[in-house]
Amino acid sequence: MSRNRSRVTKMNLTSLMDVFTILVFFLLVNSASTEVLQTPKQIVLPASTVEEKPRETVVIFVSSVEVTVQGEPVALVADILAASGQNIDAIGARLAEVSQSVIGIKTQVAAESREVTILVDRTVPFRVVKKVMSTCTSQGYGRISLAVLQKAPDTQVAQG
Amino acid sequence: MSRQHHYRRRSKEPADLDMTTFLNLMVVLVPFLLITAVFSRITIVELSVPTSAGGSAPVPASFRVEVIVRDQGLEVSDGSSIIARLPKIEGEYDLERLSDLALALKQRHPDKQDASVLLEPDIEYDHLIQVMDAVRTTTQMQEGDEEPTRVALFADIAIGDAP
Repeated sequence: MSRNRSRVTKMNLTSLMDVFTILVFFLLVNSASTEVLQTPKQIVLPASTVEEKPRETVVIFVSSVEVTVQGEPVALVADILAASGQNIDAIGARLAEVSQSVIGIKTQVAAESREVTILVDRTVPFRVVKKVMSTCTSQGYGRISLAVLQKAPDTQVAQG
Repeated sequence: MSRQHHYRRRSKEPADLDMTTFLNLMVVLVPFLLITAVFSRITIVELSVPTSAGGSAPVPASFRVEVIVRDQGLEVSDGSSIIARLPKIEGEYDLERLSDLALALKQRHPDKQDASVLLEPDIEYDHLIQVMDAVRTTTQMQEGDEEPTRVALFADIAIGDAP
C-alpha cells in the first residue's frame, strides 16, 4: 500500500495556484465595492453610458405593475395611468412618512439627502415616470436620479 | 532503502511546499466569490429638475436645445423653431443622426451646457434614456486614434412634456 502511494505522481499545481490567487484577489476587490442598489427581478433597467455611482438616497422602484417606495409597495401603475392629477397621493404620503420616521443610520442618510433614485422598468410609459417625479418634487425631494445599467460606450463609430 | 537513496540524491532541488491547505482555501473561496460577484453595475443619471419652491423666471427668448420625442420620430428645436425632423428608421429612433446634430449644435455654441428632452406621454422609458445618452455624449473618431474618443455635449438635461 505504502509503496503504491509513494508512486503516485505529483501534480504540478503552480499554474493552477497562480490562476486561483489572481482570481481570488480580483473577486475580493470586486466584491468590496458593495452595491448600494439592489434591483428586483421584475425590473429591467435600460442601459446607458453614464458612469456616476449611486448614492444612499430614497429609492423608488417602478416596475410594470406597481410602485415601491423604500421597500414598501404603495401604488399600482394602472391606478397611476388612470389618475387625472399630476401628483400621486399614495406616493407623496409614503415619501413624507420616510422623511419623518427615521429608523437606523441608513434611512437617516437617505432621508436627509432629500434625493430620490428612481429605478424604472424600461417599458414603463413616460406618463407614469413624470407623475412619480412630480410627486417627488412636490414633496421637497429636489434632486432626482434615474438608475440605469452601465454599458460600454458604442463602438459603432469605430467599425463604420 | 534504495528509494531513500534516490531522494537523497535529488535533495539539491528546492523542497516543495505543501500547498494542500492553501489550495483548499482557494477552491472554497473562488466559487463563493464568483457566486456573490455582481457583474452588472448600476449607475445613475442625474436630472436637473426645477423644484416647486425655486421656480426660475422664464428666460428671455434665447437659444435652447430641445429634443422632442414623438411617436413618429425625433424633432430637434432651438427654442423657437424646429431645426430638424428625424423620422424613425425601421421602428427605431435615429439616434446616430441626433448625436451628429447635437455635436454640430455644440460646436456652434460651445458654452451651452443644458438641453431639454421633451416627450409625449406614451413614449417608453427606455427611449428617454437612449435619447438622453445621445444628447449627453457622443463618440468621435480622431485622426490617428485607434479608439473613438468620447465627447461631452450637453451635460445638464431637463425632462418635460412635448408641446
